[in-house]
Amino acid sequence: MDPITLGVVALMGAAATIAGATEDIETDIGSESNPNSQVQLAPQMGHLHRFINKATSGEPVAYGVWAGVAGSVAYLFLHLFNLNPVIAIAAGASVAALVHTIYTVTSHLGRIVGQSQFGQPVYWDALTQALGPIAGHGFIANFSIVAVAYLITLPIEGLAHPFPLPLLAVMWGITLGAIGSSTGDVHYGTESEFQQYPFGGGIPVANHGDINIKSSVGIKNSIDVGNFCAKFGGPLTGICFGLLVFISFWITVIFGLYGGLVAGIIIVLILIILNNRIEVFARKTYGPYKE
Amino acid sequence: MVITAILTLIIAVAIGGILIGGGVHFIPVGGAPAAMATATGVGTGTAMLAAGGGLTGLITAASMTGQPVYIVCIAGAVGGMLMIALTMLIANIIYVYGCGIVPSSAKVEKDIITGLDQEKYITPGTEGHGVPTGCFVSGVIGGLFGGVGGGLVYWAAYNALAEAITTPILGVESNVVIAGLAAILGVAVFFINAVIASYNIGGTTEGVHDPKFKRLPRGVLASGVASIVLGIFIYLIVGGAL
Repeated sequence: MDPITLGVVALMGAAATIAGATEDIETDIGSESNPNSQVQLAPQMGHLHRFINKATSGEPVAYGVWAGVAGSVAYLFLHLFNLNPVIAIAAGASVAALVHTIYTVTSHLGRIVGQSQFGQPVYWDALTQALGPIAGHGFIANFSIVAVAYLITLPIEGLAHPFPLPLLAVMWGITLGAIGSSTGDVHYGTESEFQQYPFGGGIPVANHGDINIKSSVGIKNSIDVGNFCAKFGGPLTGICFGLLVFISFWITVIFGLYGGLVAGIIIVLILIILNNRIEVFARKTYGPYKE
Repeated sequence: MVITAILTLIIAVAIGGILIGGGVHFIPVGGAPAAMATATGVGTGTAMLAAGGGLTGLITAASMTGQPVYIVCIAGAVGGMLMIALTMLIANIIYVYGCGIVPSSAKVEKDIITGLDQEKYITPGTEGHGVPTGCFVSGVIGGLFGGVGGGLVYWAAYNALAEAITTPILGVESNVVIAGLAAILGVAVFFINAVIASYNIGGTTEGVHDPKFKRLPRGVLASGVASIVLGIFIYLIVGGAL
């Protein structure tokens, strides 16, 4: 076990955790996740809203693109201009943030005008006030994804991944998008959008589109969604991606080649048991919906 | 030797594609309805979740570059299983602790592994929610197949390219070019087979106990045919230099 490699793997895990949390919060603010279907449906149900809806692409592909742009620009700055890695990665993430912002404006306008037949207006202030948080969270997420990709390629024992930096950034971006879309979005779709319904149940199909458009003070907007999801869904998404990146490389650093693979399989078995315990806990604590 | 190398490439890509396409059928995805806890499974699309797991498998498999094929495949399987398992576990934590929901399936009366009753725990008006144990194990098996398939395709493409590219290209060392191209080809094979499988599934699935799982043979056949064609294309892309 090389302590330097272990330290780098820990740093990768920390960066991935930050990437996961910010990615989920950003996509919740922009309604790019699966619950965008409810934002799109709401005007038809009579709920005119101030939410951003930029779901012209799913999270995995979108984050593959943003991270790919950030990784490619960072790679250029690293190898053409020999820039400091932190500055090069920040420059890459800045360019990705610009592309991300342009995409946000065009995709939101494209999605929202489709609902004009149901009386849904375009709220310019709602759009402009959300651009900063979206670009900012996107910048942090892309910076962290490219940082993870860069650290994996460092020529040290146990790492030195053979893939080029931009490609690794794309692959981690797609993976993070898939994780964010599968985990944190549930908190947005099941809780934040339907806060007017009692806690402790799935959302019946009949209630789809009947989303909550009021906040504690005034009309609810996308920033309120970010505030809500930053308390649970976002951090858990970060933990998920952080654990994935950390465990994937930690097992071989600690246990070696063969031992690492066996350790990986054991960890998967432990995860199956953990999931079962959580399921049993939920059944005992909440009980059945009907006797 | 030449014929053997070409056949190895095409057969490995075909088997890898079949494993990927078949593996996707095991992964429980509820699509957009699952994000509102209206359907059982993970709240995202079939191809996207499978791609996330497969790409993690590809990254872990590639970290074993130079090792025997079985090590590359097992490393891919571990990466794929870890991604799918962690994602399903964290999703369930959010369902249970964030939304107060009991994981349950509407497709079976009792869980296929634990034997626990399902119907009573389903919110009226929904088709189940969360990821119960049967779905979870099914998803892990899907991650295993996807990871092995991705690793096998990467191994085959890497070896074919290693024979074709022996000198630096545009100043870039040959091993970097080989690994990069092999990864791109691996990703391509993965996405194509994941999308074919998601068309076959047609929306949502709960895994092995879902009635749609009976469509597996058709999906495997489609993936096999597509992957053989892909294998021939990869041979041509490699430059026919084998």
